[in-house]
Amino acid sequence: MELFKQFIFSFFATIGAAILFSIPKDSIISAGAIGGFGWIIYTFILNQYSSAVAGTFFGALTVGILGELLARHFKKPATVFIIPGIIPLVPGAGMYYTMLALIEKRFYDSVNIGAETLFIAVAIAIGIVMSSSLSRSIKRVKNKSR
Amino acid sequence: MTMNPISEKEEVKRLLILAILAGRIMLKNGAETYRVEDTIIRICKSRKNIKYVESFVTPTGIFVSLEYGEEVLSYLQRINTIKIDLNKINMVNDFSRQFVSSDMNIEEATKKLKKIDDIDNYKSITRFFSGGIICAFFSLLFGGSFLDFLASFFTGIIVVAISTKLNNLGITFFISNFSGAAIASLLSILFVKIGIGTNIDKIIIGSIMSLVPGVAITNAIRDTMSGDFVSGLSRGMEAVITAMAIAFGVGMILKIYFKGLI
Repeated sequence: MELFKQFIFSFFATIGAAILFSIPKDSIISAGAIGGFGWIIYTFILNQYSSAVAGTFFGALTVGILGELLARHFKKPATVFIIPGIIPLVPGAGMYYTMLALIEKRFYDSVNIGAETLFIAVAIAIGIVMSSSLSRSIKRVKNKSR
Repeated sequence: MTMNPISEKEEVKRLLILAILAGRIMLKNGAETYRVEDTIIRICKSRKNIKYVESFVTPTGIFVSLEYGEEVLSYLQRINTIKIDLNKINMVNDFSRQFVSSDMNIEEATKKLKKIDDIDNYKSITRFFSGGIICAFFSLLFGGSFLDFLASFFTGIIVVAISTKLNNLGITFFISNFSGAAIASLLSILFVKIGIGTNIDKIIIGSIMSLVPGVAITNAIRDTMSGDFVSGLSRGMEAVITAMAIAFGVGMILKIYFKGLI
C-alpha cells in the first residue's frame, strides 16, 4: 500500500515535469509511468538494503531501459521518456540538506551529505550510461548482421 | 533530368540552409548533439550528387560543410538561447525521416519546418500549473503533509512563472535559477509563517525540484557516450553550475532566516 502511494505521487510528479519539458501529448502517461517505476525500484532498494546510491543506480537503470524500449515502440527519441523519468531521482533533498548543514556550521555533516549527493548524481549517470550503451550496442549488432 | 548548373547550385545551397534550420530547431530545444549531427547529414545526403557531408555540432554552434561537384560549401550557425521543448525535437525527427524517404520539394519542406518552429505544445498557463504539480507531489514524496502540499503547489506555480519570465528576458541561466531557488525558499518560509504548511524543509525541497537540471544531466551523459566529449563536458558544466545556483539561492535565504531577519 505504501509503495502504491509512492507510485501515485511520483507518477504525478513526473507528469508535471513532462509537461514542463513539453513532451509530445500522446506520451505523457507512459513517461509518468516510467518515472513511477524508477521511483518504486529506488524506494524498494532503499528500504531493503538502506543504500540510497544503489537505489538510485537501479532506479536510473530501470528508467533508462524502459525509456529505450518505449522509444523503440513509439518511434520517438529516447530522451522524451528518460528526461522526465529521472527527475524524481535527482537529489534535490541532498542539495538542500548539504546547504542547511553548511549554514548551521555543521561542516562534518555537510561533507557527509554532500558526498552522498554527489554519488547519487553519479549513480544516475552510470544507470543511464549502462542502459543507453546497451541499446546502442544492440542496434549496432543488428545493423551489422543485416 | 537536365538542369542548368546555376539553378542546381542554388538548389544545393537551399538544401544546406534547410538542414541547418532543422538542426537549429533541434539544438535550441535541447536535443543531444549526435542527434543533430545525424539529422543534418541525413537531410543533406538524401538529395542527388552530393558527394560528401560533414557536420560538427556543439551545444553552442553548428558547423556543416558539403562537397558538391567541384565546390565546397560550408555554413556556420551560432546558437544562443536554450529552452527545453522535447516535442519539437520529436517533430523535427519525424520530419527528417519523411523528407529523406519522400521526394519533397525544398521550399515546401522549409515552410513545414518554420511551422514546427512556431508551434507551442502547451499554453504557458498549463506549464505554470504543471510546475505547481511537480513541487506539490515532491513535497508529499519526501513526507510532507496536506498543508505542505498546498504551500508547495502555489510556490511551484510562482517559481516556474518567474523563472520562465526571466529566461524570456534573456537573462543567464545562473541568475534565473538562483532567483528561482531564492524565491522558492522565501515563499516557503512565508507560507509556514502564515500557517499554511508546517515543514519548511519539505516545502523547499519540493519547490526546487522544478529547477533541477534534468535535461543537462541526461544530455551530458548521452553525448559523452556517443563520443562527443566536448559537448558532454560543456553540458555537464551546465548541470553543475545550475545545481550550484540553486544551492546558493536556497542558502542565501536560509542564512537570512536563521539570522532572524525574516
